Amino acid sequence: MILLTNNPKVQMGEKIFCDKEFVEGSYRDVLIAVRDKIHKGHRLLSHPLSGSVKPNETPYKSVIISRNSAGMDLDSLKIIEDSIAAYDKFMQNSMKYGYNNQESLLADFSEIDYRLIKAALDSASCR
Amino acid sequence: MKLELGNIIIHDIQFGNVSKVEKGIIYINKNELGALLSEDENIKSVSFEIARPGERIRILPVKDVIEPRIKVSGRGGIFPGMIAKVDTVGSGRTNVLKGAAVVTAGKIVGFQEGIIDMSGPGAEYTPFSKLNNLVVICEPVPGLAQHAHEKAVRLAGLKAAAYLGNLGKDIDADEVEIFETPSLKEGILKYPELPRVAYVQMLQTQGLLHDTYVYGVDMKQSLTTILYPTELMDGAVVSGNCVSACDKNTTYHHLNNPVVRDLYAKHGKELNFTGVIITNENVYLADKERSSDWSAKLAELLGVDGVIISQEGFGNPDTDLIMNCKKIEAKGIKTVIITDEYAGRDGASQSLADADASADAVVTGGNANMLIKLPPMEKVIGHIEAADVIAGGFDGSLKSDGSIEVELQVITGATNELGFNRLSAR
Repeated sequence: MILLTNNPKVQMGEKIFCDKEFVEGSYRDVLIAVRDKIHKGHRLLSHPLSGSVKPNETPYKSVIISRNSAGMDLDSLKIIEDSIAAYDKFMQNSMKYGYNNQESLLADFSEIDYRLIKAALDSASCR
Repeated sequence: MKLELGNIIIHDIQFGNVSKVEKGIIYINKNELGALLSEDENIKSVSFEIARPGERIRILPVKDVIEPRIKVSGRGGIFPGMIAKVDTVGSGRTNVLKGAAVVTAGKIVGFQEGIIDMSGPGAEYTPFSKLNNLVVICEPVPGLAQHAHEKAVRLAGLKAAAYLGNLGKDIDADEVEIFETPSLKEGILKYPELPRVAYVQMLQTQGLLHDTYVYGVDMKQSLTTILYPTELMDGAVVSGNCVSACDKNTTYHHLNNPVVRDLYAKHGKELNFTGVIITNENVYLADKERSSDWSAKLAELLGVDGVIISQEGFGNPDTDLIMNCKKIEAKGIKTVIITDEYAGRDGASQSLADADASADAVVTGGNANMLIKLPPMEKVIGHIEAADVIAGGFDGSLKSDGSIEVELQVITGATNELGFNRLSAR
């Protein structure tokens, strides 16, 4: 299992034990990095649009994919492509709360993303 | 299982020296209720406000809306596993303070959301503008973590609703409704010619601020399961979902689920309403596969001809919705799905993040991206500065005169995916 994230709290998270790859960039950059991995045969393990906090609100995104790569998984490809399309639709009207560098908001968005990916990892670890 | 709902029609809420219900008015002793809620060591202080239909009041940010109810007879108590002991509810008699609600408000994280306008154009988009609302504002102890804060506010709302509900225990109801679901065998024998229909209710279960509890169990840790519809009416399912105001299901929605009510209205006449399948919307994709497999399997086991599937939330749950729809259709069972749309401000974009040809009967709760102007109100309960950082609001939403321009998604219940909406295109 590999976790791709642009969220420093997730990257630094002591309770997150899987391999991590930090994406220096935007929410969209994380989605693109995930898509590139799927092209190389990794499978998507968590939903890229996790959370009801919309892509045009939060700057943070964390996604887990399989460590092993095989033939390209078309279900994973469909979900990531649909997610990138949904991201681009929302960014037509960016609300930019997190992008305005409001410190307290950034911390809250970071916490929510951390908690959601932790819930996915908890599911993964106990199965 | 058979449940009687005794509706006590409420016309007003007032503060008073003695908490009671009299002639359709709820009187509340603020100090007594405040002391009860302050027993939680995570709550520093509690304050109360009343918001009535037609008043020039804006409430934000809204966390949950809860209808006051009390078990008069039958097993268990309201909100079992949360504030009442675990026992199977949904039978006997429950009294309801109809026309009243507890609304919890307060900031848990900085971008919190959910607006209820009690008058003006915004009021038309939320069913809660038509209720007499007791607004409970909880201030946490300093430094309380978000997850503990959310839990404290959630439990305070449930306790306040139970406190008010208890005032209606010995009051004669203005009307009585009866809901009954026979066992599978009885139903098949009684209505052999009627099509069998189940309701698949998807529950928000992604994590912090995105959770739902069933008999006290965090639903993301449960497999898909079955409830009698009347269990919902006694608070078996409780909202812990504080994000996506327009299309989340508040606890009030769970208690008054219109899909359940409409299916009961046709039960024994046009169809045989066999039960409710509740399932989750987890972030982990294997959970989605497992849960939707179970939705389809349980629908097959119930031997139904059709199901209605309701979604909660947007994005990630779109995938669960389509999985449920596809897998149930593949069993030869007809489906109708209820969702809402994020179709852009002009309504021209793709509405959902997933789709499938089997989803050929779709009901929408509306377009959450639609822009709406809300005029200033005389009084704001909660935190007006939240308007700029509310989901669906944007930098500059809050105008100098106190009016706000926002997307419809800010309004609590505006595009609800149970169909609990005030406006329709019918």
